Amino acid sequence: MRTTTAILSKIFTQRFYIQNTGFFLVLFYLLFGVVDGSSLWNYHQSLMLGFLRNNSFLIIVLLLWTSYALKCAGFILKTFQTQGYDFLFPTMGSMPATSRWRTWWVLHTAIYMPVLVYAAVAVVVAIQQHYYLKGIIIIVFNIANCIWPLTLYERKLAQPDVIFFTGHMQRWLNKHFTKPPVLFFLYELFTNFPRRIFSTKLFSAAILWLTFLIMRQGEYFDLRGLQLGAMVSVLVHMQLMVHNRAFDDTYLNFMENLPIRLSTHYLRLICIYILMFLPEMVMITVNAYTKTPWMGLITVFCTALSLMILFRCLLYFPKMNPEIHVRYVLLTSFIVLFMILGKYEWPAIALLQIASAIIFFKKYRTYEPYIERE
Amino acid sequence: MVNGKKGTNKFLLKRTAIIDIYPLFFHIYIFKLLRMSEPVIALHTVKKNYQDVPVLDIARLELPVGIYWLQGENGAGKTTCMKVMAGLIPFKGEIVLRGNVSSREHPVQFRRLINYAEAEPLYPSFLTGRDLLELYLNTKGGNRDQISAISERLGVDIFVNNPVSSYSSGMLKKLSLLLAFTGNPALILLDEPLITIDTYALTVLYDLIRTYSAKGVTFCITSHQPLDAEELTVTGTLKVAHKNITLN
Repeated sequence: MRTTTAILSKIFTQRFYIQNTGFFLVLFYLLFGVVDGSSLWNYHQSLMLGFLRNNSFLIIVLLLWTSYALKCAGFILKTFQTQGYDFLFPTMGSMPATSRWRTWWVLHTAIYMPVLVYAAVAVVVAIQQHYYLKGIIIIVFNIANCIWPLTLYERKLAQPDVIFFTGHMQRWLNKHFTKPPVLFFLYELFTNFPRRIFSTKLFSAAILWLTFLIMRQGEYFDLRGLQLGAMVSVLVHMQLMVHNRAFDDTYLNFMENLPIRLSTHYLRLICIYILMFLPEMVMITVNAYTKTPWMGLITVFCTALSLMILFRCLLYFPKMNPEIHVRYVLLTSFIVLFMILGKYEWPAIALLQIASAIIFFKKYRTYEPYIERE
Repeated sequence: MVNGKKGTNKFLLKRTAIIDIYPLFFHIYIFKLLRMSEPVIALHTVKKNYQDVPVLDIARLELPVGIYWLQGENGAGKTTCMKVMAGLIPFKGEIVLRGNVSSREHPVQFRRLINYAEAEPLYPSFLTGRDLLELYLNTKGGNRDQISAISERLGVDIFVNNPVSSYSSGMLKKLSLLLAFTGNPALILLDEPLITIDTYALTVLYDLIRTYSAKGVTFCITSHQPLDAEELTVTGTLKVAHKNITLN
C-alpha cells in the first residue's frame, strides 16, 4: 500500500522536476558544465568564498535562493488550481493538522532540495574558513525558506478562491471593482502565467536596453535604430499573441453571444496591446525624450503597436498555426524595416493599420478555431 | 334610492371606463395574437460544417412563441444547433428573429434578442460572478432589480463576489442560467439546464421559465431527462437527427 506522502510526492515533487527538466539542465550546465572536471571543486569553492566574503554578493545569492523558493511555492499553489486536482482540497483538508504540516514540509523541502544541498556545502566551507556568522545566516535563511511557504499552502487550503499572495486585497478588489473585458487577457497572464509575461517583458526590456546601449556607445541617436529595437521587442511578444488567441478560443467564446459591435471588439483588441506595450513605451520615453522630439516617439509607438495589432489579427485566419504565423510576421517585419530605413514610417503605419482593420472586420465573426488533423 | 342611484352611477362609470379602454385591450390582444403566430425564430438554409464534416443542414425551420424541448442523441448536433442560433459559432445561411432581425444584417440586435446558457459553462478562472453579471447587464441591458431577485432565488448572490475558479459545477451552472435571463430576450436557449443544479434551484428555474414564457419569451431546452410535465407545458418537441431538425 502506498503512503499518502508517496502519492502526494508523485503529484507535486515528480511533476515539478519533470516540468522543470529544461530549467535544471541549463542550471547544471552553468554550474558544472562550464569548467573541466579537475577544477570543478576549486571553481565552486571560489564561488562560495566569494559570497561568504562579500556581503553584497551574499545578498544576491540569498535573493536568488528566495526566488527559487517562490518558484517552488508558486508551483504547489498552482497545482491546486489546475483542472483535475480539485480533489486535493477535500483530501488534504481532511488530514490531521500535524501530519498535514509535516506533509507540506516534506513536499516543499523535496522541491527546494537543490538549494539545500548547495547551501549545506556552502555552510561546510564557511565553517572551514571560519565564516561562522555567514554560515549561521545561510542556515537561518534556508530554514525560513523551508517554513514560510507552508503557511501559504495552509491558507490556500482554507481559502481556495485566493489565487496567489494577495488574499484580502483580492477579495476587496473583487467586491468593489469589476474587471473590464480589456483587462481579461492581462489578468489571465498575471494570475495563471506570470512567468510567461515576466520573461517576455524581461527579454523585451533587455532588447531595448541593448538598443540604447549601442546607440550611446556609438555616440549617436537614430530614430530608425530605436524603431528597429522596438520591432525586435514586438517580435518577443509573439508567444503572447498566440496565447491570446488560445485564451480567446477557450474562455471568451461566451462573449460572442453578447450584443457588442465589431468596432468595440476591435477597440478592445487595440487597447489590450497598448496596455501590454505600455512598459516598453515608458522605457523608450524615459531614455529617448531628450534625444528626439515627441513626434519621433509617437512614430516609434505607432509602428510598434501597428505591428503588434497586425500580428494578432493574422491569427484570425483559422489555419494560421504558430509556424505559419512566424513566416508572415518575419515577412511583414522585413517589409516594414525597409520602409523605415527608407523613411516611409507613416505610410508603413497606415498600411499596417488598414491591413489589420480589413482582416479583423472580415474575419472576426467568421473565425472558428481550427483543429489540425494528424 | 340615493344608494341605488349611486350604485347605478358607479356601474355606468365602470362600463364607460371599460368601453374606453376596451380598444386598448383589443389592440394588445391582437398584437399578442400576431406575435404568437409569427415565428420568433426562422432558420433559412442553415449549414454548419466542422472543417469538412457537415454537422447541420437545415433547409427551413420556423418556431412560433412557446417552450420547445430539443431532443437528440449524443453527438446529434443539439449543442452545435444552439451555438449556431446564439451566434457563438459561424455558419452558412441566415437566422431571422421576430421576422425582421437578421443574424447577418443586424448581428448586434440579433444577440440582444437571444440568450444562451451552456451545458458546461467555461469562464476565465479569475473572473467573479459579479464581473460576468455586470458585463452581461452592461451589454444586454435589462432590469437590474429583477436579476438581483433571480440571483437571490438561485442563491448566486452568496458566491457572486468569488472567482469562478472556486465554484462547483452546480454553482457555475446557476451563474450561467442567471446570465441567460439578463436583457430583454425573445428567445432563451438552455443547454441541459436540469443537470448539476439542486432540486430547489430546479423548481426556481421551472418557475422562471413559466414566468418569462407568460411574458412572451420563447424557450428552447435540451435535456436527456424528460421535462416535468406538471411544471412545464411544452409547445412542441424538436428532434435533431440526420443533420436536420424537425418540429413535432
